[in-house]
Amino acid sequence: MDKKYIEKMLSKMDEDLSKQGMSRRDAMKLAGLSSAGLFMGATSASAAEEEKIVKSNAKGKIVIVGGGLAGMSTAARLTLNLDNPDITVIEPEKMSVSYQPGQTLIGAGIWDEDDIAYNRDDFVPDGVKVIKERAILFNPQENKLTTDKGQVVSYDYLIIATGLQLDFERIKGLEEAGRAYSSGDNTKLLKALGDAGICSVYTAEGATKTWEQMQKYIAQAKSGKKTKFVFTHPSTPVKCGGAPKKIMYLANARLKEAGARENAELTFYPNGGAMFGVPEYHDAILEQFKREDFKWHYRHNLVEVDKENKIAVFDSKWQEKGPWDPVMKDYEVIPKHEKIRVPYDFLHITPAQLAPREIGESDLGSAKGWVPVNKETLQHIRYENVFSIGDVAQVPMGKTGGSIRKQYKVLVDNLIALMNGKTLEAKYAGYTVCPLITDIGTVMLAEFDWTVKPTPSFPLDPTVERWVFWLMKVYALKPMTMYGMLSGKA
Amino acid sequence: MQIKFELVTYDEELDRFELDENTYQIELDDEEAKTYDLLKSSDLHLYNWLKESDFFLKYIKEEVYQDSENKKFAISDINGISFIRFYFFKVTSGDSHYEYFKKLFNIHDESDWQDREDIGEEILQCLLTKRKELILNLS
Repeated sequence: MDKKYIEKMLSKMDEDLSKQGMSRRDAMKLAGLSSAGLFMGATSASAAEEEKIVKSNAKGKIVIVGGGLAGMSTAARLTLNLDNPDITVIEPEKMSVSYQPGQTLIGAGIWDEDDIAYNRDDFVPDGVKVIKERAILFNPQENKLTTDKGQVVSYDYLIIATGLQLDFERIKGLEEAGRAYSSGDNTKLLKALGDAGICSVYTAEGATKTWEQMQKYIAQAKSGKKTKFVFTHPSTPVKCGGAPKKIMYLANARLKEAGARENAELTFYPNGGAMFGVPEYHDAILEQFKREDFKWHYRHNLVEVDKENKIAVFDSKWQEKGPWDPVMKDYEVIPKHEKIRVPYDFLHITPAQLAPREIGESDLGSAKGWVPVNKETLQHIRYENVFSIGDVAQVPMGKTGGSIRKQYKVLVDNLIALMNGKTLEAKYAGYTVCPLITDIGTVMLAEFDWTVKPTPSFPLDPTVERWVFWLMKVYALKPMTMYGMLSGKA
Repeated sequence: MQIKFELVTYDEELDRFELDENTYQIELDDEEAKTYDLLKSSDLHLYNWLKESDFFLKYIKEEVYQDSENKKFAISDINGISFIRFYFFKVTSGDSHYEYFKKLFNIHDESDWQDREDIGEEILQCLLTKRKELILNLS
């Protein structure tokens, strides 16, 4: 772990805490954390864990496709757990390990791109080979894959950790944006979004652009002109389901700070029929929306943007009671659709998100594209020497860094068990976490799992927005991710 | 004790189920009755037990579909526990059927944000496999 970095962050946090008349220890008590908790960087705990590891002498060539947080953390942990690891990571993007959860903070001008930019090569564990190409053809029957430069790579064990693609091209009017990844060259996307109020924090450069556009329309509201801020949530699974709302809360905070809130109308258009999948968090968010005078319209999916006239077109859906079905002994439900045209000044788009084409179209993908795995063991349902992790894995509610933090340890344990001819005993239980920023300075730490119930790590009401969780989001989670997870320890 | 049950027949060529309008009754011995009591709260366990039971198949061959070699059918109701949704579910079916199948097939993956039609199609996809498990074949 980079001690200098941790010290710098802790010192910045102490400065912030002292302005509130509070020590770090007081803040930890407030959060119900012990002294060995997150705020201390967890270095001593990691060292203790490292001592406990008994390395396996299991052998086999492991290929990891994707060198983002999921792939690199898995590579790091495998090197800690194997005597003679033979690991190759295939990753074309130089900045693949950049800290994506910080993009909402960039979108609101709290961080800038430098705060989240990390070079993949600085996080490659000793002995791990990196092929700086993109895997495009998969032949799991013969344990081989081919890269975009024609290199054929064979493996004994394969881990798919490619992440997902942002599907802007399905929105009429933005077809030229194509599909994008969070990292890498997104020039085409930025050009398609233009400079007239359309933005998206789902890429780092896009987050910077979001802040530029946000300032422009906050200034417009401040000048006295009524200004419409529109936020969307698509019809597909998305990485960090809270992000579409986080950027809305932060825009609201910036508007209030600028004294421009009364001239702004903030409206959320989700495709779904609720604010959050967990009822307790849904209820809490609804109250926050009412308190902040937000508007919302459920079951609206963005399908078109008329850039010239600044109109967002939504597919609005509702259901009507249909005829009695005598066989099923129930009334049918008839879906109805209608196109709704919504004028906007500022439009934040959360794009539909899909598995990369090369995965979806291969034998490794499911009908929906995601890699079908046993949701507990993370092993592919058809190919026993293939595993998947992170955004591309077909795991319920698993597209967050918090999920990866639990998944990569399970995957490593199970892969080593398989290499040793043993039963796969490690199980992922569906834990995920969404630090939902509700204002500059407050976060509701939404933790839950497949029980669809809150699963708080701290002895505090998880539906309450807290300043101490803001500190955790802004100061503690990044070092824990970048130096804890990416070293295979946290 | 007795159990009442209903059946649907399966037309392989048309890949379609049809209601058998009759209600049948079968007598259980003490041991079978105990098993029934143990399994009655778990619909698919109950189904599988009956499907795999020799006494049940014997009754079907002798009393229900005599001389019907290779006839394919499935159970649609056991003492009021309905399995009809497995054979006749459609995208426009009511919410209670969606909730049942979302739970059965683990389709809670972001389903709050997905279109009902998409989830319905996913259920139908899962049912293709599930129906094969439920169908009985008189050989």
